[in-house]
Amino acid sequence: MAGEKNSASCYLDERTFRLCCQLFLQHSETIQDGWSWEQIKGTDEGFMKKTVLTPVKSSLLHKQHGCFMQAENMDLLTDDIQANVEDETAGVQAACEIHAVLRYEYHVLYSCSYQIPVLYFRASTLDGNPLSLEEVWSNVHPNYRQRLQQGPWDTLTQQEHPLLGQPFFMLHPCRTEEFMKPALDLAQAENKRVNYIVTWLSVVGPVVGLDVPLSYCTEVSAPD
Amino acid sequence: MADDKDVLRDVWFGKIPACFTLSPEETTEREAEPYYLLLPRVSYLTLVTDKVKKHFLKVMKAEDVEEMWFEYEGTPLKWHYPIGVLFDLHASNTALPWNVSVHFKNFPEQDLLHCLSNSVIEAHFMSCIKEADALKHKSQVINDMQKKDHKQLWMGLQNDKFDQFWAMNRKLMEYPSEEGGFRYIPFRIYQVFVHLFILYSHCCSMKLH
Repeated sequence: MAGEKNSASCYLDERTFRLCCQLFLQHSETIQDGWSWEQIKGTDEGFMKKTVLTPVKSSLLHKQHGCFMQAENMDLLTDDIQANVEDETAGVQAACEIHAVLRYEYHVLYSCSYQIPVLYFRASTLDGNPLSLEEVWSNVHPNYRQRLQQGPWDTLTQQEHPLLGQPFFMLHPCRTEEFMKPALDLAQAENKRVNYIVTWLSVVGPVVGLDVPLSYCTEVSAPD
Repeated sequence: MADDKDVLRDVWFGKIPACFTLSPEETTEREAEPYYLLLPRVSYLTLVTDKVKKHFLKVMKAEDVEEMWFEYEGTPLKWHYPIGVLFDLHASNTALPWNVSVHFKNFPEQDLLHCLSNSVIEAHFMSCIKEADALKHKSQVINDMQKKDHKQLWMGLQNDKFDQFWAMNRKLMEYPSEEGGFRYIPFRIYQVFVHLFILYSHCCSMKLH
């Protein structure tokens, strides 16, 4: 919990992690942001999860992954893309060749070793072909790429998901303290409490293409 | 720790005799002979099998060769687990040598991490060390070490140099006696389906005080 003695602790105990997630999830429900809690059967461990379908230029994908949308997949698109596609006078087939749709799955887990949350994600084409590290990199906004490359342990790496045992990409948690500390210190100085997950996710999420609407910052409270 | 040196050496130099056979699914120009190798328990499959790769490449066309991966009795072997752990999890009850199948195509994306260079193994190894030290010393020791010290730790493992490795590893094994010992003892439990094994991963080949 933040706010002890002179400076705020950057660490998050597991109980507070869960409480922050609960409050986060309540707001997600309200704005239909798509987050859910996944519990591991037979344990008291779980994580937050969100799946996003996102359009990208098909040139970014490896040739083998040519996932061009068929007409029957149209209802999986967001309203925006669908509108654009329908506007194409050249016909649905031609429009489909410009865009491909990727499936991103984001997981927020708690790390007992580091006592902080960690973001895991995986990406694949709609027909299930996973993206390689290079392909994921090419989808990271150029503004963030330099930051990600600054340390060997701070980059995006492929890791085994601690609860599911499958390959995921992970943003290494080393640098969490660096950006959480100023935010937590400031909040403490102003006698405010923050929801750790909201603050943390709004920093790390966008780096890997995860949008965190601003309303989380105003509407989600800190746990008691 | 002077009296423990024998134990430390025994752990470090532990080996598993393995027989590598090319999977019948692979396309070859002529028959491939099996390849025998003594595997260090404390190392990683992809770090010690260059010779295996070279051996099988001799009978294969370049276009049939993608990333090499290993399988035992139908289960893809996770290269990021130490070799000793893999053996104990999958084959400890079977007769030696450990019979491992080698593949060069149909990489099982849902099961295995990619390992396209030694720097991937290095990053994984250092990540494990860092996590262990987070538990033991709140990361103080690993963070106080210089980059060249980290490199020496890795090179010791990569090149099978016990003294080079332990010159650095002993720093991670010391504890400040004023704080009454390690904060936590890091260990990792590896599970396969319902079997539960409590094992010491190589980076925790430390004795408990």
